[in-house]
Order: sequence, then structure tokens, then C-alpha cells
Amino acid sequence: MKLGVLRSAAISILVAITLHAASEAADRSKTLHVTFQVAETGFDPTRTSDYYSGQVIEAIFERLLTYDYLARPAKLVPSTAESLPEITDHAKTYTFKVRKGIYFTPDPAFKGKRRELTAEDYAYSIKRFFDPKNRSPYAFLYEGKIVGLDELGAKARKTGRFDYDAAVPGLEVPDRYTLRIHLREPDYGFAHIIAFDLSGAVAREVIEAYGEDTNAHPIGTGPYRLKQYVRSSKIVLEANPDYRGMVWDFQPGGDPADREIVAQMKGKKLPVIGNVEISIVEETQSRWLAFEKGETDMEYQLWDLSPTFMAEDGRLRPRFANRGIKLGRSVDPEITYLYFNMLDKIGDKPNPVGGYGREKIALRRAIAMAYKIDDQIRVIRKGQAIKAEFPIPPGIAGHDPAYKSSIRYDPKTANALLDRFGYKKGPDGYRRLPDGKELVIRFSSTPTEIARQGDELIKRSLDSIGIRLEIHKERFPDLIKLERRCRLMMRGASWIADTPDGDNFMQLLYGPNTFQSNNACYKSAVFDRLYEKSRTMPDGPERNRLYRQMTRQMEADTPWLLIDSRYRNMLMQPYVIGFKKHPVLHQEWMYIDFDSKAKR
Amino acid sequence: MFEYIVRRLWQTIPTLLGVVLLVFFLFTWVGGDPAYLLAGKISNPEQIENIRRQLGVDQPIHAQLWIFIKQIATGDFGVSWATNEQVSDIFLTRLGPSLTVLVPLLVVDTVLAIAAAMLVAYVRGSVTDRVVMITCTVGQSISILVYIIVFQYLLAYRLGWFPVQGWGNGFAENLLTYSLLPIIVGVIVSLAPDTRLYRTFFLDEINQDYVRTARAKGLSETRVIWVHVMRNASIPIITNVMIQLPGLLVGAFLIERFFSIPGIGREVLLAVERSDFPVIKAVTIYVAIATMITNLLADLLYKAVDPRVQLK
Repeated sequence: MKLGVLRSAAISILVAITLHAASEAADRSKTLHVTFQVAETGFDPTRTSDYYSGQVIEAIFERLLTYDYLARPAKLVPSTAESLPEITDHAKTYTFKVRKGIYFTPDPAFKGKRRELTAEDYAYSIKRFFDPKNRSPYAFLYEGKIVGLDELGAKARKTGRFDYDAAVPGLEVPDRYTLRIHLREPDYGFAHIIAFDLSGAVAREVIEAYGEDTNAHPIGTGPYRLKQYVRSSKIVLEANPDYRGMVWDFQPGGDPADREIVAQMKGKKLPVIGNVEISIVEETQSRWLAFEKGETDMEYQLWDLSPTFMAEDGRLRPRFANRGIKLGRSVDPEITYLYFNMLDKIGDKPNPVGGYGREKIALRRAIAMAYKIDDQIRVIRKGQAIKAEFPIPPGIAGHDPAYKSSIRYDPKTANALLDRFGYKKGPDGYRRLPDGKELVIRFSSTPTEIARQGDELIKRSLDSIGIRLEIHKERFPDLIKLERRCRLMMRGASWIADTPDGDNFMQLLYGPNTFQSNNACYKSAVFDRLYEKSRTMPDGPERNRLYRQMTRQMEADTPWLLIDSRYRNMLMQPYVIGFKKHPVLHQEWMYIDFDSKAKR
Repeated sequence: MFEYIVRRLWQTIPTLLGVVLLVFFLFTWVGGDPAYLLAGKISNPEQIENIRRQLGVDQPIHAQLWIFIKQIATGDFGVSWATNEQVSDIFLTRLGPSLTVLVPLLVVDTVLAIAAAMLVAYVRGSVTDRVVMITCTVGQSISILVYIIVFQYLLAYRLGWFPVQGWGNGFAENLLTYSLLPIIVGVIVSLAPDTRLYRTFFLDEINQDYVRTARAKGLSETRVIWVHVMRNASIPIITNVMIQLPGLLVGAFLIERFFSIPGIGREVLLAVERSDFPVIKAVTIYVAIATMITNLLADLLYKAVDPRVQLK
């Protein structure tokens, strides 16, 4: 009896020492000061969708899988899973083993008991996306994928109650640490959804305890926990003392800067930074002055001011470089594009740019050829973007760096094309439709300054080919509503990667996604067939070949004109070390450190 | 007096009803459908319908209006559509920072403007009067945005006298560290128009017969100005100050935004950007009620300042 007690005490002490050692990894004297330019909405992974909330969620909640910090393109690695999933049944079944001994941070909802992370937590967290009460903006990631889950969601919409205890055939938990997911169809990219930042595990007790206010009570297992939260103003995170810890051990990639990062960080216990203090600062001038004065340690939301600190060649201006300020530069995993509504009619009115006839394709092609993307990058982006040639941006599986779009800026040929297909100019200098009726392109945008600059570029482009343009202004929510109903003729849009997989971009042109993400309402039998085939294939040369064919088909029909992908310029104080922007992870706080000597 | 107050309060009901109808129909017809915004990047019609049902915007107009009236009667405007935070909590937590900046700003501005106006009115036509008036006219012509940008750059960044932006955890820290620069900017912006306005109030009184009579009786200039002129000029000054009071509730949008003060003004801007109607509707109603109450208080103050005023 006595021996048993002693043994238990010894084990308890050992566990305490181990936990203490893990908590010791973080240096509480180090506080990273950063800003968000837009206020967060909350930290319930199922209920939010904004980028800024996602950064905090990623630091607090853990997914089964995550990404290697340095590997490019993004490479999946286990997080709370023991290893990468076992993929069987032609990518229809994914089996994950959850690591034992991972605990949630203490919370009154656990009633004083330590709460271990289990496979059931992940099953519960996935189910929450389908609970109508949560109005989850990212439910689409899981919709139509897991056997039986959509049906449970549909039942909840009818009854008004989601039954979390109901068995879902596609979410199998054979034991405490095993999660087996059965998909309706083969999906080789599903692991990326599991690694998505909103797929972190929440504890059912916590969610039930806080009811409607789960956005303010994030309780996770990750490297940080919420210390102070003043909504829309200040978010303070502190290193989670219960975090199991990990050692910085990433291999350098092809980027020469990787070696320096490895030399600075290798072997350090993570997280090193003890606190992260986030201030919501909407105004660019305030963020810039705060960084310049040293009130913040890192800042990237300074597009308007990039000519101030950066030369045209993308390097820091000498007065900043001489002070030791650092610049981390990467292209965001996004594309921007102009789209045409491909339907023959908008409501009950004929759509001059819609349809698949040769003269309609010629019109869209001519407009696309008249748009000078270089001007957009120079004027609107202030040089902080690269031209997009392919619908999948750099850093995303499926991107083809060698691909060149067949649509080039050539107003002369654009004019000739319109002449050839019967779009003759009238006495007012503007072209008419081939049947002689008036031709007016209605371009929709928001009433913002940056949108007005875009309007002017479009107007100038269309004037150069004699096409009359009408600008239609709507507030953003109204534009989205009209867009989802295929009621806009032409608009600029953008898409940033949810997962680092090409499918996330190619689905934007898939016919059945009309009224959802396919805002051009494009429907091509050839494209759809190729897309459906691509979905059943893993990332690789074969799928990339299909992506190239799909892109050529898109160019032939011209529902889109691809525009650009923007740079992200991260400015850092001289003492910040170990930073490299990851294409998918929302933040890198746990992987970086301060050089104490430089900071002094 | 009591009867007057009760009558005035009774009269606020039809006014408030008018405001309620105006706000409701404005937001219902012009505000747009928030469901598409809340639905996220990809959504299907079923999800849109589910969101509309949860927000209650799928109900008939009269039912929505009734819900709105009940919310006003109970003071419970529900939760923010964007964050699920209780609207009442939003006001309670954001009111403090707004008042921390705006109350001292209003007090300092009023005291300085009265003193300056009194001085220049007393020396009307002198070089001092002209210099002050020209300075006020020029100062008034410059946008508040310019003041904010220049002062933030010079005083906070260049000279380092204040933090560029931010907000702390305690009242003293916020008032003495983070609010000073916003208050200075606010006072400078308000001082010019208020000085000009109050000067005209004083000039109106200084030229009155009773002032000449008081001087003829041999009263000191101090007594003439600070007692006789001041009391009579107080009524329009009180009116002007009371008009500004409801503004404390909505904060100072630009000041709060540039200096990262977590006040109501910033929250209102955010709510507009997010189409967060429960918050916008609550703000509008609160401000309408505050305006009516401060109007009543102004009338009562008239009586206190000048017993000749009859409240009918």
C-alpha cells in the first residue's frame, strides 16, 4: 500500500517536472507585439471565418496535422497525430492515431480534472461544422465528403436540434485514440482539410458550458492560451504551460535564407516567445509609426506605404536596412481575377458578355486583351504583386511556374477581333452589338477608394477598344448577394488558399459550383469532365497535366482574366529571428525568437 | 416643474416612435441582406436560408418591427451578428474608453473656449481679437484628419511625448498615457469653432443696455463681465454644450480609430463595415434617447441659470 502511494507520488513529481520543463521552454520576458488591421470576430473555430481570428485560433487549437515550417511547397507533418494518416480504400478512408498524453488547458468546464485530448474530440469538432446553430462559414470544406454527416446536418435543419450523440458512419472512433474517417468519394487532398486551421479540436464540455459565447472562451491544447481579451482592441496570448512542447528541427529548403534560420533556431524548445500581444490598429499611418517607433515587432499590413520602405527591386531602402530592419517577402497564395457572367441572360435581360457563341467569346477575349495588368500592378498594387498566369498561385500544389497564359495585353488585336465579329463602331465612337443594338458593359464594384482606381483602369481599357462601360456601385454584402445569384455582369474577385492544394482554386470554375463559389457561373462540359477526373487523383504530374488542360479550356472560353497575386512584405525589427512566411499557416509566432543581444 | 418634466417625457414617446420607424425601415430596405456576408466564402441557398431564419430576417415586416419594439422596451438588442457578443455588453465595455477621452475633452474645450471668447469679445476690434479670429478661421478650415496625422507624427513619433496608439488596462494609465494626445487633438479641433461661436454670444450681451447701466452704476469690470454678461450668455453656451453630449455616446470615430481606442465610435464603424444591424440599431436608438434627455436637461438648466425663463 505504502509502496503504491510512494510510486504514485514519484510519478506525479516526474510528470510535474516534465510539464514544468515544457513550460520552461517559453521565455516569459519575451513579448511579441503585433497588430491586426481588422478586428477579430472570435475564437470558436467553427463560427469564424476571418483571417485575423484564424491566426489566434491556430495558436490555441491544434489540428491532427500541420505543415513543416520551412518546406516549400507546403508539406504535411503530424501535429497531435502520431504520424501521417493511413490512407486506404483508394483515398476513401483516412485513419489517424492521436498522440497520448496531450491535455487541454485547464478550464472550469473541466471541473478541476485534467482533460486529455482524444479522437472523440476531433469527431465532435468536425460534427460542429454541420450544426445549423453554428452557421459555420467554413462548413463547405467538409460538405459532401464524410459518409452520413450531411444527412445529420439536414436532419438538424428540419428538427432544429443537432444530435451530437448520433452515430455517423463516416466518423468512426474505434478506440480512445483512433479516428477513422470514411469519405463518400476518393479524395487525396482531404488531409489538407484536416490540417486547416479551423479543424482544431475543441472540448465538448467547454462548448456546452459557454453556450453562445464560445467565441470568447477558446480552450485548446496548442502552444498558446488566451490571457487577456478586450474585443476588437487587444488580444494577449501567453505560452501554454501545459503544452507538451516541441523542438525546432526543420530542414532547410532551396531558399538560401533557410540556412540562417536553421542556424539561429535549431534545437530550441518551442514556443520560445512567452507572450504575444496583438493590438487592433486599423489605420495604416498608426501601424507604420508604431513599427517605426518600436512599439511593434513585426508588421506586414503596409501595402500603401511600400514605396516608402522598399525600392522597386523589392529590397529595403538603405535607411531601413542600415538600421537592421529586416524584410521577409513572399507571394500570398491567392489570385485576383476579373470575371464575366457566362449566362445568356441576367434575370430576364440579355447578357452581352454571356454565352458560348464565337462572337461572345470574341467580345470577352477582346476585353481581356485590352486590360493592362501591368498598370494595375504599378498603380493599384504599387508594384507589390506578380502577374498571375495560372489559376493556381505559387506555393500551392498544382502550380505550374512555366505556364504562360494565352491571353496577352494587345489592344490592337482586340480591336481587330471585335471588327471581325461585327462589333462595329457607331457615330459616337462606341461599338454596337453585331445586331446593331447598344453595347454597354456593366462593371460592378464597391464604393471604396481602391475600387474606384480599378474602375478607372477598366474604363480606360474599354475606351481603348471602343466599348461603353457603366460602373455599378453596391455595398459589399449586396454585391455578394447579387453574385451568388449570377446577377452581376462583370466584377473583380479574389481567392486565397484555404488549403495548399490546386483543387481549392480549380473548383472555382466547376459548373455545379454555380451559385456558390463559381462566380462567373461558368459551365463547360470539357472543363467539368477534366475537373471531376482530377479530383480522384493525388497531387502529381498526371493531375498537373489535367490542370493545364483545364486552364487552356478556361482561356478558350474566357470566363476569367487572371490578374495578379500580391506580395506579402513582412517588416521585422532587427532582433526578430527565425521568421519565414509560410504559405498556409496563418502565423509563425511559435517558430520565432528574439535575439537578446540585438534587442539590447 | 414636475408637471413640466412629466409632460416633456410624455412628448418623447411619439418622437421616439418616429425614430424607431425611420430606423427600422431604413435598415430593412436599404441595409441589405447580411446572410450572404455571414455565410462565408462558399455557401448554398439552404445555408443562406438557415442564417436568415436564425437572424429573423425571413419573418414578415410587421413581425420584425414588433421584435424591434420589444428590444427597445426591454433594452435587450440581442447579440451581434458578427461576433455573438451581447449588444448591451458591447456598449458597457466600449462606453468607458469613449468617455475617458471625450469627457475631459469636452470640459477642457468648454472652459478654454469660454475664456478665449470672453477675452476677445472684451477687446473686440483689437489686434488680439483679429489674430485670434483669423487663427480660429484657419484652424476651423483644416480637416480633423490633418490634425490627427500631423500631431500623431510630430508629438508621438518624432518627439516621443506620447505613445503612437494603444490602450492600457487601468483608468489612470489610459487617461494619463493614452488619452492625452487624443484629447489635445480633440481640443484643438473644437476650440476654434467654439471660440468663434461663444464670442458672438458674448458680443451680443456686451452691447446690451444693461451692461452700460451696470458700468454707469460703477460696478467693476470683473463683476460686469463674469456675473452679468456671463449669466446672460450662458443660455446659448449651455445649448451648444448639451447638443454635444449625445455625441459622447457614439465617441469620436476618427480619433478612436487612429489612436486605437476601444470606444463606441470605433465599434460603430466596425458594425457598419460588417452590416451588424443589431449594434447599429441599438446605437441609433440610444443616441435618439440621449438627445431627447439632454434637450430636456438643457431646458431645466436654462431655468436654473436664468430664473426669468418660464418652463411651460
